[in-house]
Amino acid sequence: MMVFDDIYKAYWNKVFRICMGYVNDHDWAKDIAQETFVTIWQQLPKFRGEAAIGTWIFRIASNNCLRQIERQNRMPRTEMPEQIAEHIEPDREPQVQFLYKCIAELPETDRLIISLELEDVKQAEIAKIVGLSETNIRVKVYRIKEKLAKKFENYER
Amino acid sequence: MSAEVDFKALWNKEEAKDMPDTKELLKKADRLKKLTRFKLIAQSLLLLATVAVLLFAGFRIDHVQVSTIIGLVLMIIAIVSYLIVANQILPMLFKSNIEGTSQEYLNQLIRIKRKNEFINKVMINIYFSLLSLGLFLYSLQFVAKMSTGWATFYYVMVFGWMAFSWFVSRPRGVKRKQKPLNDMIERLEAVNKQLKDSE
Repeated sequence: MMVFDDIYKAYWNKVFRICMGYVNDHDWAKDIAQETFVTIWQQLPKFRGEAAIGTWIFRIASNNCLRQIERQNRMPRTEMPEQIAEHIEPDREPQVQFLYKCIAELPETDRLIISLELEDVKQAEIAKIVGLSETNIRVKVYRIKEKLAKKFENYER
Repeated sequence: MSAEVDFKALWNKEEAKDMPDTKELLKKADRLKKLTRFKLIAQSLLLLATVAVLLFAGFRIDHVQVSTIIGLVLMIIAIVSYLIVANQILPMLFKSNIEGTSQEYLNQLIRIKRKNEFINKVMINIYFSLLSLGLFLYSLQFVAKMSTGWATFYYVMVFGWMAFSWFVSRPRGVKRKQKPLNDMIERLEAVNKQLKDSE
């Protein structure tokens, strides 16, 4: 079995990106990622390997993202006034920023599905993480990508 | 270049530059644990102190009557049961399993919030009923010794307070707790619907 340190190193950036796709806020995403790893650390001794370790980790990360619905005091970036949401961070490529912004504007479960897809998680695994059928995931991924492509077309014009 | 490759390449450019040290992370977990434990201890102390004050008041009375003791016991039960349910039983009953699928997790959250909503309503009613009845019984012994004028004044005040609690504070308390819960249930259901729509 993998030890916590290995998991932490291998998955930190992946989990962070999924959280970032969900909230599009660097500090907030880092908080969720940290909470995820605290849960992983607590639950790891009980992990029996019924699912692949990656599926298990991404499930905890996705659910931690969904749990943010409970925190009413922190608004997602997309609900903030335009000038704050649009504020450009100089050390991030504008296109990268735009992608994360578009993803964070999608419905909550779509954000998770596309983030996992872009993270190169197999669609069969995404189905196991989200709890939908593989066919459903395939259709959803296709539609979300279409939506993103359209937004990028307008953005580049 | 296909759109897919493009998205994946862009996606992977995002990095959390400052990965927190494992020690720092585990320290955070420890801090959270300590905070929860501290809250539990503080609440238990508050509970013990309240019960001690009530008991102390009860023992100081000469020739204590049965109604006074019953009143005292009811008030203690009201406070103890409210605190126990709110702080010990609720979190235990409502522990969620974060390792399930998103759909299971959302359904679980909705179920928990619904149960919470119900228990809140029931507990506030039980708490107010026990406390009011307890206070009424407790005071019978003392009122019996008062002149008619004072006794009337006392009963008007006590019943006035009970009526105010029952008809104003209680619904307000229920509402104050229900509103955020209902909003939450609504939001969770909206997210859950996103998954159902695609089935």
